[in-house]
Amino acid sequence: MIPAALDDLRVLDVSQGIAGPLCAKLLGDFGADVIKVEPAGGECGRSMPPFSGGEAHPEKSLFFLLTNLNKRGITLNLEEPRGADIFKELARRADVVVETFPPGYLASLGLDHPSLERQNPGLVMTSITPFGQTGPYRDYKGGEIVAYATSGIMSISGTTDREPLKHGGFQAQYEAGFNGTVATLFTLLLRDVTGEGQHVDLSVQEVVASTMVINQPFYSWTGGVQGRRRPAGTMFGNVMPCKDGYFVSQAGGGASWNDVADFYGRPDLKDERFADVNQRVINGQALDELLVEAAKDRTMGEMFKTASEQYRMLFGIAQTPADLAACAQLEARGFYQEVEHPVIGTIKVPFGLWNMTETPARYRRPAPLLGQHNLEVYGEILGYTEDDLMRLRQAGVI
Amino acid sequence: MARLPLEGIRIIDCGHVFAVPYACGLMADMGAEVIKIEGPGRLDITRDGPFSGVHADNRPGADPWNRTANFNLINRGKKSMVLDLSRAEGREVLKDLIRVSDVFLESFTPRVMRGWGLDYPNMKQLKPDIIMVSNTGYGPGSGPYSQYPAQATTQEATHGLAYVTGYRGGIPSKAGQSFVDFLASWACLMGTALALRYRHRYKKGLWIDVGMYQLGCYTVSEYILDWLANRLLGERLGNRHPSKAPQGCYPCAGDDQWCVVSVRDDEEWAALCRLIGKPELAQEVRFATHRDRLAHHDEIDGIIAEWTRSLAKFEAMERLQGAGVPAGAVFDARDVNLDPHLRSRGFLETLRFPPERGIGERAIIGRPWRLNKTPLAVRGPGPALGEHNHDVLQGILGYSDARYADLEQAGIVATRPTQLRPLAYMEMDERVRRGRLAYWDPDFKRRLGTEEDEPGAGVPRVVRPVPRDPP
Repeated sequence: MIPAALDDLRVLDVSQGIAGPLCAKLLGDFGADVIKVEPAGGECGRSMPPFSGGEAHPEKSLFFLLTNLNKRGITLNLEEPRGADIFKELARRADVVVETFPPGYLASLGLDHPSLERQNPGLVMTSITPFGQTGPYRDYKGGEIVAYATSGIMSISGTTDREPLKHGGFQAQYEAGFNGTVATLFTLLLRDVTGEGQHVDLSVQEVVASTMVINQPFYSWTGGVQGRRRPAGTMFGNVMPCKDGYFVSQAGGGASWNDVADFYGRPDLKDERFADVNQRVINGQALDELLVEAAKDRTMGEMFKTASEQYRMLFGIAQTPADLAACAQLEARGFYQEVEHPVIGTIKVPFGLWNMTETPARYRRPAPLLGQHNLEVYGEILGYTEDDLMRLRQAGVI
Repeated sequence: MARLPLEGIRIIDCGHVFAVPYACGLMADMGAEVIKIEGPGRLDITRDGPFSGVHADNRPGADPWNRTANFNLINRGKKSMVLDLSRAEGREVLKDLIRVSDVFLESFTPRVMRGWGLDYPNMKQLKPDIIMVSNTGYGPGSGPYSQYPAQATTQEATHGLAYVTGYRGGIPSKAGQSFVDFLASWACLMGTALALRYRHRYKKGLWIDVGMYQLGCYTVSEYILDWLANRLLGERLGNRHPSKAPQGCYPCAGDDQWCVVSVRDDEEWAALCRLIGKPELAQEVRFATHRDRLAHHDEIDGIIAEWTRSLAKFEAMERLQGAGVPAGAVFDARDVNLDPHLRSRGFLETLRFPPERGIGERAIIGRPWRLNKTPLAVRGPGPALGEHNHDVLQGILGYSDARYADLEQAGIVATRPTQLRPLAYMEMDERVRRGRLAYWDPDFKRRLGTEEDEPGAGVPRVVRPVPRDPP
C-alpha cells in the first residue's frame, strides 16, 4: 500500500449538513478511515438539494455525495443509552470525532469531549457550530445567511441602493469545512508529540469574519468603515456585460494602463481623466459607458484569451456551472473524479483541491448508503455478529 | 508554557499579498518561526500598494511601509528579512536559509522559481526533506489557463462564484474581497500540516501545488453537479434560500441597518408569526409549507420588513433568536470590532507595537477556532521591513560581520525600500465623500479600549441571554 499522511487514523464523523461532513471527508481523502455515524433516518445532508434526477431521495442528494466520498457509513441512535455506550466504545478506538450539534447536546448524552477523553486521552474532537461553544450567542441558531450577516462580509457586498447581498451558494459552509480540517490537522500534529487530544471549538461566524482582513483592521487603524459600492460608475473592476455574458477587468498584473486601452481598442482610455486609480473613480461613470460600448460585440471566450495571453491583463469571465463542468483547465488539474454510485450511477464529482507529491488526495469509495457498512464496521471494530446487529436494530439502537 | 503545534518549525515565507502570507501568519500563531522575505525593490504590496493608504491613524509617517493595517494583521509574529532575489548573491543567501528550514512557501509564477533553479527538484537537492508549497492562480501544467495572469478579484468571476451571486433577476455580482485567496490560504495550511505529518512518519519531504482556481470552483460544486446530473444551470437567488422560506435581509431602524432572517421549518415559521404579532399567518394555507412560502415570498418579505423597520438591528436579532428563529444583524466593520460575543471569545486580539513604531495598540482578527488545552495567540506585530536581517543572517546562518556588511553594501540586504509606489493619501472625510467608506468613527480608539491614556474605556453593548433550545 502507498503510505498516506493520515492512514493510521480513524475518524468518527457524527456531523451533519455541509461543513462537518466536508471536514471529515478531507481527512478521508488523505488516508484516514472515516466512519460516518448517522441516525436511523439519515443525517440532514441527505435531504439537501440538488438531487440527482431532481426528486428528493435520501441516496440522491448531490451535496451529500460531494461531502461524503471516502467514508464508510453506519447508523446509530445516540439518544438511546445503549447507542451512547456503543458510541463511547467506538470513540475509544478512534483518533478524531467531528460533530456539529448545538453546544451542550453531546454533554446531555454523556458524549462530550471531557466524557470521551476519560476513555481515550488522545481523542481530538472537532466541534463546528454557528457561533462556537462559548459567548452570549453560543445558543443562537445559524445558517448560511446568518453567518454572512454576522461576519461583516455582507455589509460590503452588493450596492448602496439595495440591501446587503449574500454570496451565492453555501460558501460559509465550505469555508468552515476547510477550517475544520485545518484545525484538526494542526491539533493532530501536536498530539503526535504530546499524546494528548483536545477539543477544537470552531465558529462559522469567525471563519467568515476571518476573511475581513481589509475591513476589520481598517476600523482599528483609522475608524474607517467600508460600505457597499455605488450602483453606477463602479463597473471597472466589477462585473460588466459583453456580447454573450459578463466579464471582470482589472488594472495591474503584467499590463500597463496603455495595454488595457489597446486591448479595448479605445485610445480615449489613455485620457488624463482615466490616468490613475483616483481619476478612474472620479470619472467612473464615463469609464463604465466607454467600456460597455467597447465590449458589446465581443465574446467572453475571445476577450479572456486575448486579454490573458496577448496583453497579460488581470481578466475574468463569469463562467457558468456548465462552463466549469466542461473546463479543460480543471480536467488538466485532475479536479474531477469519476464516481460510481449504486443509486446515482456514474457521475464526475469535484474532488482534487490541490496537487501534492507523495501523499495526494486519493479516491477510494463513493458516499455510503444509509447504514451500508453496519455489518462491516461493527464487526471489524467491536466484533458484533449479524445476530447482535439484528437485536440492536430491533431495539432501535442502530 | 504549553507546547505549540509548530514549535521548532522554521518556515520561509516568499509569498505575496494574502494567500501565502496569511497562512504563514497563522502558522506563526501556532509557534512556527516564520521568516518573511521581501525584495528591496519589491515590497509586499500590502505595505505600499492599493490596499495601503490605511496607515495607523491615517498618518503615513516617515516609514509608511511599516504602518499599514493589512500588512500587520496578515504578517503578525513573523521575522522580516529583505533580500534581493533578482541577484545571484541574494539567491545564494536564500539557499543557505533553505538548508536550515522546514517549509518553504511561495507565490511566484512557475517560471520564476524554475528560472532561479529553485523549483522543487532543485529545492530537494538543497534540503532533501524540505516541504515546498507553491501557490499560483490556475496551477501549473498543461491546462489552457495555466500561464494566465490571475488575481482573486478576477478569478471570482472565472471560478463561477459571480455567476451564482447577485440580486434576483440582476446581473452576476462580485461579492466580498479576494474570496479565493482565503481558500488558498487554508489549502496551504492543510497541505503543510499533512506534509509535516507525512514527514514526521516517513522522513520525506514533498511538494504541494495549490492552484487557486480549482479551490474557487469547488465552492460551487453543487451547481456543477446539478448541471452534470440534471442539466440545470441554477439561478441567482439574491438573499433567498434555494428550498426554504422565508429568508431575506430586512431593513431596520436607522441608516443602512439590516437584519437577516432564515426560517428552516414550519415550527420556526410559527415562532416568527407569533413574535411579530401575527400568529394567524401560521394557520394560512398559502404559507403552510416551504413551497407555499416560496411562492408568496414577496408578500412575506413585506410583512417581515414592516416589523423589523422599527427595531434596531441588534434588537431585531436578539428578539428573533430569543423566539427560536435564526437571524443575524448585518455587522459592519465596526460591529465586528466591538461585538460582545466575538470579544468574549477572544476572536480579536491586540497587537502591541514597540514605542518606536508609533502605532500603539491595535485590534486584529485572531483565529476562528480554539483548542481547550493549548491557548494560541498572535505573537507580535508584523515586522518592520528588514527588522530581522541580523537575526537571520548572523544568528541563524552564522554569517560574519564582514559578510553581512558586504551584503548590505551591495544592496542585497536592506532595511529601506529602494522604490515605493506613490502614496495614496486621502483624508478620512474625503474617503467618505468619494464613497470609498460608508462612514468613519473618530471615536474608534475609545470604543476599542486601545486609547493609551484610558485603557479599557470601550463599553461593550449589553446582550440579553437567550434561553437554550432543548436538544
